[in-house]
Amino acid sequence: MPNVVNILLPKEPGSASRRFFLSAAIWLFVGVFVALLAALGFVAPDLLPAHPMLSFGRLRPTHINIVVFGFLLSAYFGGFMYVVPKVCRTELFAERLANFAVWFWNAVVLGILYALPHGYTQGREYAENPWIIDIAILLAVLVLLILVFGTIIKRQEKLLYVSVWYIAGGLMWTFFVYAVGNVVWEPSSGSWTGMSDQILLWFYGHNVVGLVITPQAVALAYYILPRATGRPLYSHTLSLVGFWALIVMYTHTGTHHLLQAPVPQWLKVISIVNSIALLIPVFAFLTNVWMTARGHLDRVFESAGAKFVFTGTVWYFLTCLQGPFHSLPAVQKVTHFTQWVVAHAHMALLGFAGSIAIGGIYFILPQVTGRKLYSEKLADYHFWLTLVGGIGIFISLTIGGLLQGEAWANGEVVYRVLSELRVYFIVRGMSGVLILVGALLFIYNVLMTLLAKPSTAADEQPAEAIAKGVTA
Amino acid sequence: MIHMNAKIVGIGTTFLVALIFAAVVVAPQHLNPEVHQFSENYRKRTDLEERGRDLYMRYGCQYCHSQYIRTVDWGLGAERLAEAGDYAADTAPQLGSLRNGPDLSQEGGEHTDDWHAAHFYNPRWTRPESFMPPFPYLEEGEMNALIAYVQSLGGRLADQRTARQWKWRKQAIAAYEKNADANIEWLHQHVPQGWLEVPNPYPITEVSRLRGATIYQRHCLGCHGPVGDGQGPAVAFIYPPPLNFTTLRRHGIEGGATGGMLYYQIMNGITGTAMPYFKRELESEKIWDVSNYVAEQFIGIVDANAEPRGIDAAFEPIDSSPKKGD
Repeated sequence: MPNVVNILLPKEPGSASRRFFLSAAIWLFVGVFVALLAALGFVAPDLLPAHPMLSFGRLRPTHINIVVFGFLLSAYFGGFMYVVPKVCRTELFAERLANFAVWFWNAVVLGILYALPHGYTQGREYAENPWIIDIAILLAVLVLLILVFGTIIKRQEKLLYVSVWYIAGGLMWTFFVYAVGNVVWEPSSGSWTGMSDQILLWFYGHNVVGLVITPQAVALAYYILPRATGRPLYSHTLSLVGFWALIVMYTHTGTHHLLQAPVPQWLKVISIVNSIALLIPVFAFLTNVWMTARGHLDRVFESAGAKFVFTGTVWYFLTCLQGPFHSLPAVQKVTHFTQWVVAHAHMALLGFAGSIAIGGIYFILPQVTGRKLYSEKLADYHFWLTLVGGIGIFISLTIGGLLQGEAWANGEVVYRVLSELRVYFIVRGMSGVLILVGALLFIYNVLMTLLAKPSTAADEQPAEAIAKGVTA
Repeated sequence: MIHMNAKIVGIGTTFLVALIFAAVVVAPQHLNPEVHQFSENYRKRTDLEERGRDLYMRYGCQYCHSQYIRTVDWGLGAERLAEAGDYAADTAPQLGSLRNGPDLSQEGGEHTDDWHAAHFYNPRWTRPESFMPPFPYLEEGEMNALIAYVQSLGGRLADQRTARQWKWRKQAIAAYEKNADANIEWLHQHVPQGWLEVPNPYPITEVSRLRGATIYQRHCLGCHGPVGDGQGPAVAFIYPPPLNFTTLRRHGIEGGATGGMLYYQIMNGITGTAMPYFKRELESEKIWDVSNYVAEQFIGIVDANAEPRGIDAAFEPIDSSPKKGD
């Protein structure tokens, strides 16, 4: 029996990280595959057999929840299980518990993959998961909080590095935002009543990006870019500004999703003002990591992982310029309800959050396995497939969205514009194929790295080596 | 240098987040209690409609259909702006954030139940350009509930429209079941006399025929069929069935004017039947072109550019001399 426990819940340092990384890679493939089925429906709605699970209304929430909880968060969790101990100069608190978190989290994502295609949903965008899954996610986050704070408490390094602020704070906010956003004290509906519910929903929806995903992605970038370039972080002050401004600005912006809906005017004004003010934390962070990497981009481009992360920060720059811009009512007049918004969401979650998640895995995997990445070349192919695919999705949907928005503003009805969109949906689908192929290469690369035979005995204890400050 | 510690990072920041949450999510409930007062248009849904709403959520309809009308809208339901009080009783209001299809907040009574049944079975049958997924697997009970819910959207205004549909529906069925003559006569009754006498003011040209065909394929084909015999795929669901245009040849086209009559019916729809209005989605020229197309291809009586037609429009082709009277 103890043998089984050791296999399922090993206490070997880095094991939970590795398993989270493999999970993330697999879930990325699943999430993108679901998206591709959905994209196919836009081009040839009668091609696939008519089945509830293959209808867009089921595929879309499945896609989003699988990529957010299965892919992005798994990657970030695996990432911080390496980063936090590393910058705290200690080992991860309770590696067995971390391995339990891996199994539990994957069970949660499997639950999502079962519930949403079967129509078990609370019918709230981005907050679809049924109550039981909500509770499971909160429990998982509690476990992760224990791991992070446990590690922080036993740290050998006095100074808390900025990545840890984002990781620890981000998990706390995740717990709060997820609990209130899903109204977990109302198990039957998971909802408030009336427009208040929609104000709450978009507080939640926007903060899934702002307070759940962004902090973890930013934390990885804060760790990996200085590490890849071998440069100390440019400015502690900018770290502080970016961190606190993110908390204050992001939390106010949810209502900018409801600018044209009947919600109180003052709330709309607050959301717009803070959306513009979001430029402060965004540029504080970007200035900080870009100035760190300045003059050393050659080192960034030496590794596919760092290259992915750096590209993620460029996507972050673009998405966070666009976001404040289209929170302006005059812009939303044209862009709201159109594919423009879908393009923006992909720039944020695929371009920014996704690139950093993938890059984080490629960069950290050698550290937690003690082996080189199986193939830098395949990772490089993956990089270009994802970049070209992401740009393809963004541009095609942006054009489609502008066509819709302008036509509607001219008085054309939704139906009249549909045929104009087809070509853009075809481009979008083909871009998705590139990303799917990339995801396959990703799984293969991660798997082969994990399966490779360890070359030296020292590699068996990478975390110990790391704790001593020995870089792999 | 300011040092961060675990307490500030974990508890301090979360407290701040909670504080802002109170300001922007909890406070509006108390500062703006009016958003929870029912609007004048609000009415309670029936049990069947509630079941339909449940299905609407489970099938994820909100990912393509919004449910609020904005000041900038022109499309379906645009006559009435959304009010917060419309949603005051709803948990998880289905506002939506994307319009791959039309807004449905005022859909109730815009189409008849049989139109919806055909549309759910396969959306292409009523809307050939749609990329909505088909729902042939809906059981009868589910289909009825979903239709009931969709017909309830729009509150009391929707009830008014639905009542009007049912009132005319009885007459439409009675006329159809009597015989073809009575049916055509009933249909023509709804067209103001002036329109019945107006010929299509525009000539049929090579390009206008192509335009007419395109409009027909995109808007009419599903019900009236490729040859205009009223045998499009949607016919299995629609009663009274779509008109076979050839029957018009024998009926009520005194003096050979079809243009105005067709224009009026296409623009305005035929309340009580599955024939919707196209006033919102087809501009004037497009309706005239498709009228010419139907008249020429399926009825065989063409009044394009016939007298009385007023002064020639400046862009008319040079050889478009009137068919009669000169």
